[in-house]
Amino acid sequence: MPLLNDLLARIVSFAAMPAVVGVFVTAGLLVVSRDWRLNLLALAVQYFFVALLMTQVIRLEVAAVKALIGWLICLAFYLTEQQAKSLTRASGERSDLSFQGWFEARLDGWRREGISVRAAFGFMAAVVVSVAAYAAVSAVPISQVPEEFALACYLLIGLGILLLGLSQDPLRVGVGMLMFLSGFDLFYVVLEPSLVVTGLLGSISFVIALGMAYLKTIQAATSDEETAT
Amino acid sequence: MIAGLLLFLVLPLALAGVVYALRRWATLSAVLSVGTALALGIAIFVLPLGRTVDLWGREIVMGGTISLLGRELVLEEVDRIAIAFLYLTAAGIFALAWQVSPRTMLFPVGFSLLSLLSGSLLIRPLIYASLLVEVAIALSIFALQPEDRGPTRGGLQYLSFSLLALPGLLVIHWLMERYALTPDNTTLLDASAVLLTLSFALLLGSVPFHAWMPAVASDSEPLASAFVFTVNNGAIWFLLLAFLETYPDLSSYSSFSPLVSSAGLVMVIVGGLLAASQRNLGRLMGYGSLADSGVALVALGMGGEQGLALALLALLVRPLGVALMAAGLKRLRAQCPGGDEPDALRGLARKAPWGTLAFLIGGLSTAGLPVSAGFAARWALYRALAPSDLSSALVMMFASAGVIIGVWRALSTLLSRPESSPVGTSEPGRDGLLQWWLLAGVVVLVVAGCVGIGLFPQLITPTAVRLASLYSFLGP
Repeated sequence: MPLLNDLLARIVSFAAMPAVVGVFVTAGLLVVSRDWRLNLLALAVQYFFVALLMTQVIRLEVAAVKALIGWLICLAFYLTEQQAKSLTRASGERSDLSFQGWFEARLDGWRREGISVRAAFGFMAAVVVSVAAYAAVSAVPISQVPEEFALACYLLIGLGILLLGLSQDPLRVGVGMLMFLSGFDLFYVVLEPSLVVTGLLGSISFVIALGMAYLKTIQAATSDEETAT
Repeated sequence: MIAGLLLFLVLPLALAGVVYALRRWATLSAVLSVGTALALGIAIFVLPLGRTVDLWGREIVMGGTISLLGRELVLEEVDRIAIAFLYLTAAGIFALAWQVSPRTMLFPVGFSLLSLLSGSLLIRPLIYASLLVEVAIALSIFALQPEDRGPTRGGLQYLSFSLLALPGLLVIHWLMERYALTPDNTTLLDASAVLLTLSFALLLGSVPFHAWMPAVASDSEPLASAFVFTVNNGAIWFLLLAFLETYPDLSSYSSFSPLVSSAGLVMVIVGGLLAASQRNLGRLMGYGSLADSGVALVALGMGGEQGLALALLALLVRPLGVALMAAGLKRLRAQCPGGDEPDALRGLARKAPWGTLAFLIGGLSTAGLPVSAGFAARWALYRALAPSDLSSALVMMFASAGVIIGVWRALSTLLSRPESSPVGTSEPGRDGLLQWWLLAGVVVLVVAGCVGIGLFPQLITPTAVRLASLYSFLGP
């Protein structure tokens, strides 16, 4: 086990900057994309990178628990989207659940319509927030936190708030809140590595995810009723 | 022997499950909820601290310190009154919900919230209290969401604003610990003061972070909104006082009092002005609550034990007005499929007289009109404030008139003759007659309580004064 831990520690020390890049790419994707499958994949990958960064400052087991909570949330969101889709399908909308069908539909959409104005605006806003986050690392340094950590924190907090502001769909708002929490957690875990705090922060994330899943299901059910009437 | 304070954490959680399972039997779950909340509220107020009490063959000891997961839970006199306030307010809201919204998710979710919020008042250090409050706020979304409408935007905004407050609350603890070690480094104190101000401005809906208050009131379940404005916000007020008590450097910070007073005054002005212009009853309730929260902040900003007592008095009487308004709103919405827009509300007073009465009296109490519970706090504040700051007292009086204007306009719409299909008086069927009388009984009881406290403020003032005397951070 010590050998494994040493190996992991070496990997992690090399992987810090790639992990920050991973956080940046996934967070940007979550702001720009409105495809729920792609977004859930990005969120799951983001939780991996956040946990990878955290292993620099906390025990591997605790970071793994944080990643697990994140992946459970992704699973809850996935099941909710499926439920919402099945409720919408019940009111007559056709849906192809196969990966190939989804990919072809996306490709077809891009060919016909290009990039939507909303996505373009989201991209520009994400770029502005990211530049601000990069500037904030040197302008407002966070004491006791490595520079790459601070960059990841600012990116997640900034892009999380951006997503909160740009979205009305409960799951997207929820993802914004979770990104904001992840960003803060990345910073706070250095200050307070207590397990109870980890558990309570995890509980907040989980209750938020459940709340958003509940709202999404209600949204699908009420839109279904409106269509039926 | 049972540690009494555990009862207030575990029993509500267990009750939440039971009440949820009994949702199909609305009356049973409602009676159980009202009875339990009332019993626990009275019990924590009456049972003596630090002494063993024999209850049905079991020994219960209230007060003291217990350890849970390595964290300390401490029940002191302050927490006792605060928890009693939360439980008794919840019992009142549950009683109104029983009559106007019996199948609401408020009963199970409300008990979970009571458990978490009580825990937040008891646990030390305060970072855990902040985290528990945040879990409670996230859980509130289940009660706020109406079952027959799309997702509540107000609920989403409430959660978003509250979540933004969390980092500040957690970091203050760390900053103040470092400040205690290096008192020369005043940057730490400045940063803590800024974070404290921002965090509680977000949590209490201070202007410009107030958008969630009218949004919650307009598109969420009205009684769940009342729960948020009174029980949740009550717990946040006690959390703020706990922060100030734990870190006296923050309460004695030079710009603390003027900042709090200004924030409160702006809330009263914005709430009053916007309430006067509202034609949507839900938003009127939201802006009325905003103005009422501002009054408590102005009182706190006065400083000293008197200011704190007035702030606590405003906090203690607020539930009567807000809960009555919410019950009236729910009743009116139930009678009106077009929502609470003015055209749909015309002439509804004849169809829903108890709903109209509840909304009217609740609105006037929230505005602080004489002979209502709200007036007890307002009048005492005006009298205390006028000698030192007459202009603020006058501005507050005029702003309160804004809420009265809003309520008056709503009443004139409710009493006016409808343009289309005439509305007849409500004729409850034989099955509905008992329900009708029960509704009338509960509304009249709460209205009587509201007017009674307005006429005899000495019923509640000593509690506020006593509670204020238990805090030491503002000095005499």
